[in-house]
Amino acid sequence: MIKFITGKWSFYISGVVIAFLFVLTLYILDTPVGMSDAYLMLSEYCRDFIYKRRIDELPMLDWQTGFLGGILIGALIASIVGGEWKFKIFPEGGSSKGFVGFSVITPLQGIAGGFLVMLGLQLAGDSFLGQWAAAIQLSTGAWIFLLTALIFGGLTTFLLSLKAGEAGKGKKGGD
Amino acid sequence: MHPLALSGNYRIAAGIVLGILFGILLIKSGLAWRKTLMDIFNLKDASFLKTFLVSVSVGTALFYFAQRLELVNINFRPVYFWGALSGGILAGVGASICGLFPSSAVASAASGRSYAVWVIIGMLLAMPATGMLSKFLSKTIYSWSAPFNFCERLDGYFSGGMAVIWISSISIILTLFLHFTIGSGGGEEG
Repeated sequence: MIKFITGKWSFYISGVVIAFLFVLTLYILDTPVGMSDAYLMLSEYCRDFIYKRRIDELPMLDWQTGFLGGILIGALIASIVGGEWKFKIFPEGGSSKGFVGFSVITPLQGIAGGFLVMLGLQLAGDSFLGQWAAAIQLSTGAWIFLLTALIFGGLTTFLLSLKAGEAGKGKKGGD
Repeated sequence: MHPLALSGNYRIAAGIVLGILFGILLIKSGLAWRKTLMDIFNLKDASFLKTFLVSVSVGTALFYFAQRLELVNINFRPVYFWGALSGGILAGVGASICGLFPSSAVASAASGRSYAVWVIIGMLLAMPATGMLSKFLSKTIYSWSAPFNFCERLDGYFSGGMAVIWISSISIILTLFLHFTIGSGGGEEG
């Protein structure tokens, strides 16, 4: 039991738990799973704060904002209990290190990648978890979105690795 | 029987509790780590895809029976064909650059990976950008018709509960295939 709490879960346990959680969420809340509205509200709140340079009132707490905050709390608890909380500046597997990596490459990669991911999700109409939950409800659109994302993610990674001259080296555990 | 459909403060409390459970799940399954997503794009480790496929094979059956018992209703946002396709392309390209999606970025940042904050900033910047593009999008991809008979659910292409059986079976076969070909490389974050 202690190992289950502190250790890493295998893919079949994770898969069963996530399926159960999606159905439980639909039962309890009777609404599409996701948090794109929370991100939208947070984005508008940040914009207002930057323009006005003061905080008039805190953002409204609804279930999606609570869900977002809950993920933050849950991840913090799980990473501390499991001994996986580590302060890291550079992404694992990233080739960018040092001052340039810290101040230019890592932020640029993060912002550009995050921007594209969220733009894609907005075009498709829901957050990633929302698409995942829609896929188990047999949504055709969610399946098109997820398959396209997987294919183009793989293709882009391959093209980027070719560009970086890493293709064909076949290095194992290079990360 | 019918869904609970909590409202008011109970709904907010339920949202927080479910968020906590998802947060724990993201860390325990390794889905919060950038490496997990990048490894499936690099075909090094299929943990992410196997978790997804197991969840689909179990989830479709679970949802089917829960729906038959009227415990849950079909609840997903309407998706347009071209929106899903173009969104998938952009999200796939973006994910291959940053290796995170919205919930995993939050979980990653909470577990001390400060680089995930940049990803969250990028995601927050995309929100107003989508708003600015909304008129253009509603005149283009949201109004174009799909190149084939686009049913909202895969049920539309199958009779009875056959879609559930097909999706569940294919997911199990693919999971086994991935397990014995690409496998899992441990999934530990570097």
